[in-house]
Amino acid sequence: MAADNPIDPIHQFEISKIAEMQIAGVDISFTNSSLFMVFAIAATMTLFMLSLSKRSIIPNRMQMLSELSYNFIANMLRDQVGDQGRAYFPFIFSLFMFIFFCNFIGLIPYTFTVTSHLIVTFAFAGLIFLAVTIIGFMKNGLGYLRIFYPSGIPIFLAPLIVPIEIISYLSKPISLSVRLCANMLAGHSILKIFAGFIVMLGFLGFAPLIFLVVLYALETLIAALQAYIFTILTCIYLNDALHPDH
Amino acid sequence: MKFFLKIFIFVLPLSEAYAEGQKSAGLPQMDISTFPSQLFWLIITFTALYLFMWKFVIPKLSTTIEERKDKISNDINDAENLNSEASKILKNYDDKMNSASLESNEIVSSSKATMNEYLDKLKKDNEIKINAMITESEKKIHQQKQQSEQEIKKATIDTIKSIVSKYVETVPSDDEISKKLN
Repeated sequence: MAADNPIDPIHQFEISKIAEMQIAGVDISFTNSSLFMVFAIAATMTLFMLSLSKRSIIPNRMQMLSELSYNFIANMLRDQVGDQGRAYFPFIFSLFMFIFFCNFIGLIPYTFTVTSHLIVTFAFAGLIFLAVTIIGFMKNGLGYLRIFYPSGIPIFLAPLIVPIEIISYLSKPISLSVRLCANMLAGHSILKIFAGFIVMLGFLGFAPLIFLVVLYALETLIAALQAYIFTILTCIYLNDALHPDH
Repeated sequence: MKFFLKIFIFVLPLSEAYAEGQKSAGLPQMDISTFPSQLFWLIITFTALYLFMWKFVIPKLSTTIEERKDKISNDINDAENLNSEASKILKNYDDKMNSASLESNEIVSSSKATMNEYLDKLKKDNEIKINAMITESEKKIHQQKQQSEQEIKKATIDTIKSIVSKYVETVPSDDEISKKLN
């Protein structure tokens, strides 16, 4: 497909099987998506293995990198959730590193962006939504329902506010997953389209090339930013579950 | 920039239409048949990453960071202790200096006082001695004066006698002569 159409922007998102696998009749083949998931965790693990192999009180550059990311997420969690969030730190940290590396590996030409598939981001968002709801009811009991009726609202507004709050609560996993997926999808499609223009326009291709460079920088920013947004929103939802009065 | 944007806006529908024609199905994202595989591998990889982070990375990183924090706070404590010790020593030194200077001042003033006393005493003693010597010498001078006056008188009388004896027969007595002389 790619050979006869150099600027098919959707081609990069296609999933191709590398090794066929089935469990109980369900197709769970090892695909290019799976491969890049493995790449992402391999990159993360390599980074941390390298940085933690020779750890010292005065950190070297690699150690600095891992400690910066650790402190970044730890501070985010502490600012958003407080000390009660410590128990969820391994998950939040893994989540950030996974999305961050998937986004960044996807920026390399001819790679696959795992986070550009809605099912992947929705799996995360759905897991977070379920976990946050369970944590909310476990920590607050039925008092967790207070989040649908914020304090200080007159009672006659309740029929209006409560459905809105319920809808906004239920739409959280959708907005969370679609935000990340759509950003990746749109960004990578535009990159691909402009890369195609360079080829199509021949010697005039320098114009889209300049644009592509600028766009690539923007996409790099977005890759980091979306990982950050996904993580901080998770922290905010977690905070809502732990402190529904706020 | 506007120029590129115009090109982009103009070409985008075209290219999309082109891509549309080439595609077999819709978005790959909407292909439900790939979902089980993606979910399966996502669970496996993410669980692996989570376990790696949970059991390996985070304990190591947090102990390193804690160790560093401890070390820094220990070093700061040590420095503060040393600082307070140094200021204690300095205070001690200052106190000692102050007391020593006070003591030396005392010693100087007391020795000045004893010296003055001694000098006064010496002066008084000497004055008494000098006064005594003066009265004695005055007495001596007076005696000598009287003696010499008598001797002069005697010598004068003798001289007058000898001169008178050469011219007159009756020599006057000493008392008469002394009466005439006065």
